[in-house]
Amino acid sequence: MSPIAEQAVAPPGRSDLLGWLTSTDHKRIGTLYVITSLGFFLVAGALAVVMRTQLARPNSTLVSPHAFNQLFTLHGTAMIFLVVAPFAVGLANFLIPLQIGAPDMAFPRLNATSYWMFLFGGLTVFLGALTSEGAADSGWTAYAPLSEIKISTGLGQDMWIVGVFLVSVATILTAINFITTTFIYRAPGMTMWRIPIFAWEMVATSLLIFMAFPSLAAALLLLFVDRHLGGHAFDPSYGGNAVLWQHLFWFFGHPEVYVLILPYFGVVSEIIPVFSRKPIFGYTGLVIAAFAIAGLSMGVWAHHMFTTGAVDDPFFSFLSFMIAVPTGVKFFNWIGTMWRGSISLATPMLFCVGFLMNFLLGGVTGVMIASPPIDFHAEDSYFIVAHMHYVLGGGSLFAIFAALFFWWPKMFGVKLDERLGKLCFWLLFVGFNVTFFPMHLLGIEGMPRRVFTYPDVGSFPLLNSLATAGSYVMLAGVVAFAWNVVVSTRKRDPVGPDPWEANSLEWWTSSPPPEHNFDDLPPIRSARPVFDAHHPEIAKGGAG
Amino acid sequence: MHGQMWPSPATAQASVLANDWLLFGTAGLAVAVIVWGLILFSVFRWRRKGQTEGPLPPQFDSNNPLEIAWTAIPLLIVLALFVYTYRAEADVERLAPKPDVIVDVNAYQWNWTFAYQGGPTVQGSFADPPQLVLPLGETVRIVLTSSDVDHAFWVPDFLFKRDAIPGHPTSFDLNPSKLGTYLGRCAEFCGFDHALMDFSVRVVSSSDFNRWRSAHHT
Ligand SMILES: [Cu+2]
Repeated sequence: MSPIAEQAVAPPGRSDLLGWLTSTDHKRIGTLYVITSLGFFLVAGALAVVMRTQLARPNSTLVSPHAFNQLFTLHGTAMIFLVVAPFAVGLANFLIPLQIGAPDMAFPRLNATSYWMFLFGGLTVFLGALTSEGAADSGWTAYAPLSEIKISTGLGQDMWIVGVFLVSVATILTAINFITTTFIYRAPGMTMWRIPIFAWEMVATSLLIFMAFPSLAAALLLLFVDRHLGGHAFDPSYGGNAVLWQHLFWFFGHPEVYVLILPYFGVVSEIIPVFSRKPIFGYTGLVIAAFAIAGLSMGVWAHHMFTTGAVDDPFFSFLSFMIAVPTGVKFFNWIGTMWRGSISLATPMLFCVGFLMNFLLGGVTGVMIASPPIDFHAEDSYFIVAHMHYVLGGGSLFAIFAALFFWWPKMFGVKLDERLGKLCFWLLFVGFNVTFFPMHLLGIEGMPRRVFTYPDVGSFPLLNSLATAGSYVMLAGVVAFAWNVVVSTRKRDPVGPDPWEANSLEWWTSSPPPEHNFDDLPPIRSARPVFDAHHPEIAKGGAG
Repeated sequence: MHGQMWPSPATAQASVLANDWLLFGTAGLAVAVIVWGLILFSVFRWRRKGQTEGPLPPQFDSNNPLEIAWTAIPLLIVLALFVYTYRAEADVERLAPKPDVIVDVNAYQWNWTFAYQGGPTVQGSFADPPQLVLPLGETVRIVLTSSDVDHAFWVPDFLFKRDAIPGHPTSFDLNPSKLGTYLGRCAEFCGFDHALMDFSVRVVSSSDFNRWRSAHHT
């Protein structure tokens, strides 16, 4: 162990509740992040099922307009800020030190601070629902002047601002930690070009967080000043500018999309090689593509503003198109990894294949709406809802489940049940596509997003009923997962260090790993040191 | 007024936009089918049968010519798509030097005012959404703004929308090319009754338009 690593080893932790509350161990903080984000996922998913139930039939009165507006605001805010991003943060917290052979994160106390800020931020957003005018109801995008105090008078909007602000600061702190840890804390032999792809993707993600989240924090602060201190930054009746909100918000909001997907590119890049029994294809290309995507994504924010008539559409359109190229490279690399492999369709791999199938459609519709003439019709319609869910639901969420099934044994020392896992996959895969595919057609036909009801015209009723039916199938898939957790935990069937015959260093140590992570490390001579140790006849020697 | 699934382009601009949808839809579907095919082919062709592991497959991990090809080919495709889309957008957004009719459209929570320059002004009520009457084959300039929050003017059969942003009026031209009545709605979420912020557009012949205009002149 290097001298740096020795200093960072924390004193033995307590295993009771107080031990968890006060822990600065990256594995515990990672696990807390993962469990908390799954908790928010259940709530945000339940809100979605209520919305789909309201929209099952035209002119339904199950949910009032005011309640519906709170539902989609909380659903979007939670899924984006409290589920998809923090799950990745949790996974990275757990994995990065293990993958690079380090005993902990670079700043363990900062790490704990981030988690608690995130948790209280999330709870603050939801507790807004208990105020007299209810939770925030201006959408997760909180467009000003709609979110200004003249229109959104409630305390719920303020709690949303404060909550999301806390989460964004927590995320920035975490990004500092990830970058520092990955650059400084690598074990001897773990050169930059041997870092597992997941850790690379988290470095790219952290850089994006670094550049994008301060813009969100600034916008939220300005909005708060507008609401309570007469700032009028976004209020045109006092010389403020409504378009400014969109710039500040999307300067964060588009890189955020990649903050929500790059970690999951990393997840599938870790899992596909293991279940194909091959090294990742085009490691260097994958890493370069991650940074190309991150770089380009900083210059495309105004493709969310094509219909404002306030931006130079062709510039932002061009850069948006360009993102398709590195994303395509990744797809071909994943296919190249499976090509002539020996593929096992265990549950983690099934979810990866589901990810590829779904995300591909989200990518294709993404290129479509990068064309302003198409966006003029698609923008703010259900086509966008479909596109965005194919990326974040069919993409990120499927990778979340892949990660859960793959790393569960490492985190908790037991495997999840395979048969229930496959049931969960098929329910989610079929349910997802039945829910979201019809939304493309709804959008083209003319259904705007964020509506609490719709008229009985055209194929609106049919397609909406279909989408609602699909959401119930997805709900069943989530129940199957919860049941799987109960069954597998009760069985207490402990696994060894490396149940999947995997590649990276986290599979060298016990499951779950000891507090100090590693008793010893294998020689690190390639990007898959554990595979090398188990297959000395194939292992690359020397420079690797 | 509504009933078929695919909107039928009802302005000259919409025909250009429909072509863009057709091109991107076809190209996108072709790419999707090819890549889906490659994914499923790999999974089923090299799926391990049974539980036995067998020997390791070949451990190759790169192929430079192939990697250059699958970077370069998509790059050429998106460059071509961009050039096409750039021209289409210029066509759609071109403003005529002298429009025949100018309508100031104001969006507000949760209705619309259509003020024709030179009269009349059409004001909607909650029970009775306003109607925008347009002459066939003439150039109509819409000058769009909002008096409270962001809204968006969307007519699905025009395949077009534009945001109505307070303090930021914008203009676009419509050349109605098909007689009929079309549904319009607010597309940008604007609060409580956003879902009900509808209007309609009726495209009539030039002579009918002039008759309507003088009858409603105040
Ligand atoms: Cu509106």
